[in-house]
Amino acid sequence: MKLFYCLLLFVTPAVFAQKNIQGKVTDHKGNALPGANVFLKGTYDGGTTDANGIFAFQTSESDTATLAASYVGFEVFEKKINLKEGIPAMTIKLEELANELNTVVITAGAFEASDEKRMAMLKPLDIVTTAGAAADITGAMQFLPGAQRVGEQEGLFVRGGSGQETKIVIDGMIVQNPFFSSLPDVQSRGRFNPFMFKGTSFSTGGYSAQYGQALSSVLLLNTTDKISNNGLGISLNLANAGLNYDYASKNQSVSAVVYYGNLRPLFKLVKQNVEWIHAPEFKGSSLTYRWKPTKNGVLKVYGMYSDSHLSMDSKDPFSDSGKMRLVLKNNNAFTTSTYTDSWADGRWTINSGLSYSRNKDNMTYDGANFDRFDERTQARIVLTRLLTGNNTVLFGAEAHAINIGNGVNGTLYRLKDRYAAAFVESEIYITRALAGRVGIRSEYSSVISRANVAPRLSFAYKTGRYSQISLAAGQFYQNPDYRYLYLNKSLKYERADHLILNYQIIKNQRTFRVETFYKNYAQLVREFTGQKYDADPYRFPWGTTTNGGDGYARGFDFFWRDQKSIKNLDYWVTYSFVDSKRLFQQFEQSATPTFISNHNISLITKKWFEKAKTNLSATYAFTSGRPYYNPNNEEFLKDRTPAVHNVSIQASKLQSIKGNLVIFYATVDNILNTRNVFTYRYTPDGKTRYAVGPQSYRSFFVGMQIMLSKKAKVEKDDF
Amino acid sequence: MKKLFTIALLFVFATGMAWAQNEKYTQAMGDGIKALNGIDRSQPDPKSLVDIANRFERIAAAEPKEWLPKYYAAYANVLLGFVAPTLNEKDQYLDKANALLKEAEGIAGKPNDELEVLKAYQSQIHLAADPMNRWQADGEKFQGFLQSAKSINAENPRIYYLEGSSLFFTPEEYGGGKKVAKPMLEKAQQKFSAFKPETSIHPDWGKMETEWMLSQTN
Repeated sequence: MKLFYCLLLFVTPAVFAQKNIQGKVTDHKGNALPGANVFLKGTYDGGTTDANGIFAFQTSESDTATLAASYVGFEVFEKKINLKEGIPAMTIKLEELANELNTVVITAGAFEASDEKRMAMLKPLDIVTTAGAAADITGAMQFLPGAQRVGEQEGLFVRGGSGQETKIVIDGMIVQNPFFSSLPDVQSRGRFNPFMFKGTSFSTGGYSAQYGQALSSVLLLNTTDKISNNGLGISLNLANAGLNYDYASKNQSVSAVVYYGNLRPLFKLVKQNVEWIHAPEFKGSSLTYRWKPTKNGVLKVYGMYSDSHLSMDSKDPFSDSGKMRLVLKNNNAFTTSTYTDSWADGRWTINSGLSYSRNKDNMTYDGANFDRFDERTQARIVLTRLLTGNNTVLFGAEAHAINIGNGVNGTLYRLKDRYAAAFVESEIYITRALAGRVGIRSEYSSVISRANVAPRLSFAYKTGRYSQISLAAGQFYQNPDYRYLYLNKSLKYERADHLILNYQIIKNQRTFRVETFYKNYAQLVREFTGQKYDADPYRFPWGTTTNGGDGYARGFDFFWRDQKSIKNLDYWVTYSFVDSKRLFQQFEQSATPTFISNHNISLITKKWFEKAKTNLSATYAFTSGRPYYNPNNEEFLKDRTPAVHNVSIQASKLQSIKGNLVIFYATVDNILNTRNVFTYRYTPDGKTRYAVGPQSYRSFFVGMQIMLSKKAKVEKDDF
Repeated sequence: MKKLFTIALLFVFATGMAWAQNEKYTQAMGDGIKALNGIDRSQPDPKSLVDIANRFERIAAAEPKEWLPKYYAAYANVLLGFVAPTLNEKDQYLDKANALLKEAEGIAGKPNDELEVLKAYQSQIHLAADPMNRWQADGEKFQGFLQSAKSINAENPRIYYLEGSSLFFTPEEYGGGKKVAKPMLEKAQQKFSAFKPETSIHPDWGKMETEWMLSQTN
């Protein structure tokens, strides 16, 4: 029995040898860190720091031990201590881990909508809940800083750039026909449903070497990787009816969409400024398949087809009747498949894609044939290597085969372009507060048999916990408008040089951002006809052409968003200023192009009513007057249209009907019924002018989306 | 004889050491779990939660072969992800919970229903931190983890508790609500009454919450 006690004495820890360990835990600036875990490694002995960062605990260890301190968001601290001697109180300084708050992000020229990134200024949901955007992606982008609104044309006009200078990119692949076929003086909608995308990045310039062929901007859209709603959805509104079906299993999912649209009912209700002979009628379908073959790999295949038919009498100052009858039948197909994967613990990532698009417009103007045809096949691969300290280097290549055809009054013009590009880019963190991105892109285009090399550079420096400044610069090349290339294949690339300086502060759900820029245009195409300036926007450029043009755009823009001050109210204000002149196209002297408006202001508010489950949104947009060509004015493009004002509201309400989720929405555009004018056109004799305005003034739209059996996953045997 | 005695002594000594260590582990875990259960669920005190999370982390550091300390540390961090005041702090705790769960998975070595359940719980709290923007991605994850928990052990009552609580807190407009949640919570209750944790320190939470929610559905 004695022996047993003896043994017990051996095995129980030596209680009599308790030692005190105490001290303080702070960050590197000396601020106390309450709640830090301080302990001796390999033992249970330790404690948590109090509100003043003070810790104190006892240990029975009597030899050397490793003292460790850990705190959420900080690097673990470890130190060997000798317990034989008395331990004086110590101060432990912890280093913060890299996180989104303490690490700089390169932001000059980028405006992101993302769920995943906390620094994003917009959420994907913002696109569909903004009044005046008509649930259209580019519609929403028009309210962002740096964008100019041009009411009678589709496209994104960024910082003095034309609509053609912005490329829309889905999962890295250029979209050849992002908008429904362009019509005279009618803004066409985008072809893509905003719900397809998990993230959107709108560049106002200085963008990455990964992209090219855009003098002003790229709009990057990333499709969702998975779906969460199994089941059938129905959408019904004044313009179309559609069905969508989603099915997901563990590693695969399929989404299918079919729709039929006809604008006749809407046009019966809303007075049109356009004389429709056949209101736009369209049908389409899309199919998406996603597969996760490995832990990190995702294969996405997307295919869509749509066709549309319409006919209108558009105002034409150049014809005797003042009208021109347009008949348009369009077929469009777009398929893209992308594969992304990563391996070696994420140190290597691959992004690859293959895409084909085909578009055909059977079009007649007053019976004369103006068919358009284009197809683009493209392949792309990007490899990214993650290095230590968050540094990355990526390299990639892309190749495109583009065929374009244009019928002009019975003559068919054809163009073939084989385009290839390669790029390398590295993101370097010099410190957590200072980062740089250096890239270079090289392109070759067979139609003009020319190559180019374009450097890109960005820096960002964190000036405070919530603020940073960034700088971006680079060269951007784009092929001349293909209509010039039909007749002259010796033209060079058009070029733009960007310089952007940005300051932003994001704190407590409030964002302030200011950006200033200078953009230099060079090698722009000039056309010499030997005749008077022809303002017809649909003329075919038949004159001789050179790359003798140039120009500039400079300005600044502000963005302020506040989601905090008033509960459930979110508002943002943007102001963009641009001053720009160019010598290009048929210009005989440098002048401000017609698509430039010096001032653009938008005020967007959203309020969520919890009880009524209703989101109410209102938008005010102001666009200052734009230049227009007046043949009676001695000075070229000196006249300005009146400013454009638009107030629109949108309400959406969620309701459960027999267990199915239903979203009702209603919008009123131009609620004040302002008679906006976008531009003026003159008859050839210069005596009469026509105002070109919106398709309709005050207009409304209502619709609903029903999600049937949203909880399709709750099966009978669950109960 | 003397030699034999020494060997026997050594043997007793060694097993005694092991036994004492084991006892100490169970004791420390038990104390931690008791502290965790002592937290007021309607108004958890973040300071005590941090202290509890730290305690489990210390045990985890000392017992690198046990997954349970990491599990409980992760659990406490998920609760912190619920009570922390700002989105940024919530996310830091939830990220930490995620990291601990990954480590616990590595230690457990094989698929474990409790870890899957906790991953689902983590997704649920992550969703709750910013529901407007996260319901889609996190809702998907939540369902996925519960599915895989079910495929490992369909008798785990916490699966049904989480499913029930998710319905309970989902607005009726989105197909949730107290009424819809009731049958699922009843199922959880039934599973809880049949459930016996493997040991006194294995996961055994959720019963109290299920009963509270059920009391609200009437």
